[in-house]
Amino acid sequence: MKYAYYISCINESLSMEADTSMNLWTKDLGIELVPLTSGTCCGGSNLDFTSPDQFLAVNGRNIALAEKMGLDMITSCNTCLLGLRHAKHILDTQPEKKEMVNEIIKEEGLEYTGKSEVKHLLWVLIDDYGLDKLAEKITNPLTEYKFAAFYGCHILRPSTLMGGHDDPYRPHTLEDLVRRLGGNVVEFESRNKCCGFHTLLVAEDESIKLSGSAIDEAISAGADFIVTPCPLCHMALDAYQKEALARVQSSGKMRILHLSQIVGLALGYSEKQLGLNKHVVV
Amino acid sequence: MDEKKDIYFKIFRFNPEADTKPFYDDFKISVEKGVTILRAINYIKDHVDSTLSYRFYCQAGICGSCSMRINGVSKLACTTQVWDELPNCKEVDVITIEPMNNFEIIRDMVVEYTPVISKLEKYISWVTPRIKQEDLGKKEHLIPEAEFKVYDAATDCILCGACYSECSMMTSSREYISPLALLKAFRMVKDSRDTRSQDRMKVLNEDHGMWDCTHCYRCVQACVKNIPIMDAIQGVRNEAFLRGMKNSEGYRHAYAFTQDIKSTGRLKESTIAVRTKGIFGSVSMLPFALKMMSRNRMPHFFVKTIPGIKYVKKIFQKLK
Repeated sequence: MKYAYYISCINESLSMEADTSMNLWTKDLGIELVPLTSGTCCGGSNLDFTSPDQFLAVNGRNIALAEKMGLDMITSCNTCLLGLRHAKHILDTQPEKKEMVNEIIKEEGLEYTGKSEVKHLLWVLIDDYGLDKLAEKITNPLTEYKFAAFYGCHILRPSTLMGGHDDPYRPHTLEDLVRRLGGNVVEFESRNKCCGFHTLLVAEDESIKLSGSAIDEAISAGADFIVTPCPLCHMALDAYQKEALARVQSSGKMRILHLSQIVGLALGYSEKQLGLNKHVVV
Repeated sequence: MDEKKDIYFKIFRFNPEADTKPFYDDFKISVEKGVTILRAINYIKDHVDSTLSYRFYCQAGICGSCSMRINGVSKLACTTQVWDELPNCKEVDVITIEPMNNFEIIRDMVVEYTPVISKLEKYISWVTPRIKQEDLGKKEHLIPEAEFKVYDAATDCILCGACYSECSMMTSSREYISPLALLKAFRMVKDSRDTRSQDRMKVLNEDHGMWDCTHCYRCVQACVKNIPIMDAIQGVRNEAFLRGMKNSEGYRHAYAFTQDIKSTGRLKESTIAVRTKGIFGSVSMLPFALKMMSRNRMPHFFVKTIPGIKYVKKIFQKLK
């Protein structure tokens, strides 16, 4: 199994532990990830409105880089997933936009055709690798722990761009993964809600109220960890946790784990190897 | 014989004048396949409990009155089939009916809609035509088809409030503009007949306005008319860029992303807060920075330029 790995900006700087963890166990599973070093930032759900055409060309180019390698593309960030899939949808359905993009990127020897899929790491584990096969590799089942599964918005909505992976009102893939790793899942209504990350710098008070409510619910539900497939949700839930809980008149502590870290734990890696000590809440 | 079965309706009840807190009533009725939620609760009101309160009118998905939360999701009762809701029930054959979120409750499923109307007023959600008052009805202002295509979908909005009820930011602050007011704003800003876009954009640029949407897409998912509301929200922000309305954190934040992609290809996270909030505004970010430093998590100050940046720069040169 070989994929072009789309590097999200946050995972190569502030949240390096997410990718460090992933790179430990993908090798064990025989999943080869070829980093797209020439790829750019997806625009972080900003470029699509500052300039819709530049957004298409930048992300058309990103996907075309994977196409040139003859590989499907993986990302471990929800917002990158949405940005790339959004651009792909437009390029696949509007021939004049595809032509516009190809006219520019051909100078670099690239062509966008639409043949490479854009997938989330969670989807690859479930659809391509398979949970049965993953379960066979477990050396340290997470039986002692209770998890609250927090999906994040951009792996669920809009469902028209997500290829039918989860019903955004009743998602289950993340819980499926946790259970197959031996973990327990708590009832968690916030699982398909928003962490507020994208407005943290422009409307902090309103944004941390969203993350605060989710963390508070996970504490009340008796979870040991919140697990999320999105590094942006991780940042909102972990780094702003104290302020967020205070904002909803709550207190306590909830450790937030990346998807790649819970897989790593179940496959026998230590907390230190997986960078759990890098989190604000430890 | 038509398919028929007993369905339980667990219905939210609250009369603020009489009840100290909300409660749920359970009703068991026999329902045929093909019956809508609205017809089912009409049966309960007509035959079981006449005090059950909710709004409805057209019964055809046009007036937007009967929006309520059905099994937790804001929908129109008149266009939702009982049978289609059965797979969504938490308990077998128990359908939960609740009022929309983010509104004050007048009684049961009847909510206070005045804040929506006030927001439509605040954001000038109508066309103020170029044609003089005395010439209205005598002269025409034709809209080219290409222009209409831009806001065609936005004109489908029936103001049912499902997006308002599902919106993440609305749950945080009732002052937030709301998806439906942003949708209307987009529809009016792009209308060539209108003369008040500058005023409208000015209000949209204020606190609680267009920059406070957190891109959760709950509005898009819930829209009963399948309107791509986020395209409209991003469309209003695009208008701010086209007009060079630089004086907002939202503008500066998005501008920083654009500049970073153009210059190195990657986001320069170390300065994103300063570039968004300004030096003085960033003082509030100090605790965050210290927390990151305490974990030895520092964004690179010098971001490595990606191979092939010259081709990325060409994208920005060639496309506006």
